[in-house]
Amino acid sequence: MTLILEALRYLVYVLIFPGFLFCFLTGLLLCGIDRKLVARMQKRVGPPILQPFYDFFKLCGKETIIPAAASKTTFLLAPLVGLAALVVIQLFIPVFRFSAFSNVADIIVILYLLLIPALSVILGGAASGSPYAGVGLSREMVTILSCELPLVLVLLAVAKTVGQALGLGLCFSLTKIVEYQMEYGSLILKLSMLPAAAAFLLIIPGETGSHPFDAAEAETEICEGPLAEYSGAPLGVYKLSHAIKILTMTSLFVALFFGGVGRGLENLVMMLGVSGGLAGALIFLLEILVLFLFCVVLTFLCISVVHAVTARLRIEQLFKYYWTVVTGLALISLVLAWYGL
Amino acid sequence: MFKKLIKESTGKSPWLFHINAGSCNGCDIELVSVLTPRYDAERLGFQLTGSPRHADIVVVTGPVTAQSLDRVLRTISQVPEPRCIVTMGSCPQSGNVFRGSYAIAGPLSKYVHVDVDVAGCTPKPEAVIDGLVLATKILEEKRGQMK
Amino acid sequence: MDFPFLKEAVNGLFSESSCDMYPVKPSEAAPRYRGRIVYHPDKCINCMMCERVCSGNAITHSIEKTEEGDRVTRTFYLGSCTFCATCADFCNHGAIEFTGDYHMIATKEEDLMVTGTFIKKPPVKKAAPPKPAAPAAAAPKAEEKPEAKTEEKPAEAAPAIQPRDDGKPVQDASKCVYCTICARKCPAGALTVDRAAKTWTLDEDLCVGCGTCAEACPKKCIII
Repeated sequence: MTLILEALRYLVYVLIFPGFLFCFLTGLLLCGIDRKLVARMQKRVGPPILQPFYDFFKLCGKETIIPAAASKTTFLLAPLVGLAALVVIQLFIPVFRFSAFSNVADIIVILYLLLIPALSVILGGAASGSPYAGVGLSREMVTILSCELPLVLVLLAVAKTVGQALGLGLCFSLTKIVEYQMEYGSLILKLSMLPAAAAFLLIIPGETGSHPFDAAEAETEICEGPLAEYSGAPLGVYKLSHAIKILTMTSLFVALFFGGVGRGLENLVMMLGVSGGLAGALIFLLEILVLFLFCVVLTFLCISVVHAVTARLRIEQLFKYYWTVVTGLALISLVLAWYGL
Repeated sequence: MFKKLIKESTGKSPWLFHINAGSCNGCDIELVSVLTPRYDAERLGFQLTGSPRHADIVVVTGPVTAQSLDRVLRTISQVPEPRCIVTMGSCPQSGNVFRGSYAIAGPLSKYVHVDVDVAGCTPKPEAVIDGLVLATKILEEKRGQMK
Repeated sequence: MDFPFLKEAVNGLFSESSCDMYPVKPSEAAPRYRGRIVYHPDKCINCMMCERVCSGNAITHSIEKTEEGDRVTRTFYLGSCTFCATCADFCNHGAIEFTGDYHMIATKEEDLMVTGTFIKKPPVKKAAPPKPAAPAAAAPKAEEKPEAKTEEKPAEAAPAIQPRDDGKPVQDASKCVYCTICARKCPAGALTVDRAAKTWTLDEDLCVGCGTCAEACPKKCIII
């Protein structure tokens, strides 16, 4: 009986709350807000906020063409692999105190899983057998290569700071990191973490493949690169993965640097005098709302503004930028954290 | 219900693909101007895609030269159903001033079914929007007939 | 890295959009915009000048013989039109008009056709023309007419010549310098002008009465 309940609970996790449905709705909504904001910044009216939903459903209703040169199974399964990986990441990222799965080394798992969506793009592109996809996937590879190094350094810096404070050496558990922040205040308030936070903000557009770091999917020069041959539902899944990636990266940022906000929310609910089960539910709802608001603000800062004011970088400029400026910022943070500042 | 959702979404998110079949660049510029802040077709869901496989509406400009004919037909055949073909300007409809030239294989309607013609040389961006909106309606109808 | 447009972007976020909102708000074409053609068949005299000057071969006609005269149907195919308005410029009777209507959207080719039909009466009164020249000479007209025209110049120099009532050109020989411009401009090739012999001859069967010669004459000595 308990086993069934447990299984049901995980099913709800995977399918509804931090899992698929939540990702689907918030991801596409964030994507729509991003498009609207970019349009407003360019003095346009912009598409309706629900536009990504329309796009997704339309793509579901389109014919799926499988190119003659493609290997059919890989071509069709690759987008699903990426989507599944993103949903799994979302299960590991705690919404303040709530976490679907907690582990001793969440960060390492997330680091690995974050590679899979990019790999699925590469896989799908390679399977489609198009020269445009070939160029695109080589660029995609360089992009993840350049993002990965600073990302690892940022995560290491955070893990070191929290680990040192808790006397663990290195703390790779996201749940612990968030709990630490609940106790001692958000990491963003620490001087040594500021460069790391800045580096992470710069990683977000690169990891999600948005302007100006979208050399891999440059639609004007290489026909959207790895996605060139995709049509219909698989393309819709890729677009969905791209939208969910925005959610993943921004909520990861919130978990890493703004975990302490959860404490404030709890205090707020306490102050209102609500108690018992109702308080728990209220806190939970507030937490989701605040997380979403944070995601919107971060999307605006890292994706929309950057999209509106910059032009696409060449792939070697992107690489150079990430391995000098962003890595430098992350390294400063890591060194400071290592000396316990 | 799901089918209805898809049908309505199809009408709200038409993606364009632009083929230049030997155009003088006049229509090409006007098509791009439809996406600029002044006309902003994106508020109706229009988006310019880079690959014909992503497109719903194919906009053909130019008189379909003998050199481009094969490419145009191959590109159009790569667009997944439901699709809509819009000719923009007088050239793809008749050949315009190039009519009768040895280098012209057009008009386009000799080879594929053209859904909407936007006349003008070049059409005003407003006329292009009109044509695209009409194409969107045809697209929605076509989607309704599928499956 | 610097972001030159950051300020504009943030300003744009808080200012009104610069969109025209076209399908919601209708928009007028600019003055003198050349849009959909309107054809006035009642003014047309079927001189074919428009068809000759059309670069896109967009103008065609069909003639059907009836007892009242020739039934002329002129068709403008907007799908082949460059909207250069040369036809309207060449039309001396203002039968072709370019309007500001730019909504030329069609799902069928017929939607882009502008047609007009009129009946062109045959030149009935062959006897009437020589009236201004020699009212007395109403005998055999077939050969006399070209003659009558050429003889005009010595005979009636002082009194102003009167226009013919069938709309065909009359030459004022006192002003004419025989420059041959009218003959070169004539779309129907109905005029023959000999510089040396100082003759101006009109072939009435070819003349459509378009008025191009009168328009082109530098001395304004041709009257319609």
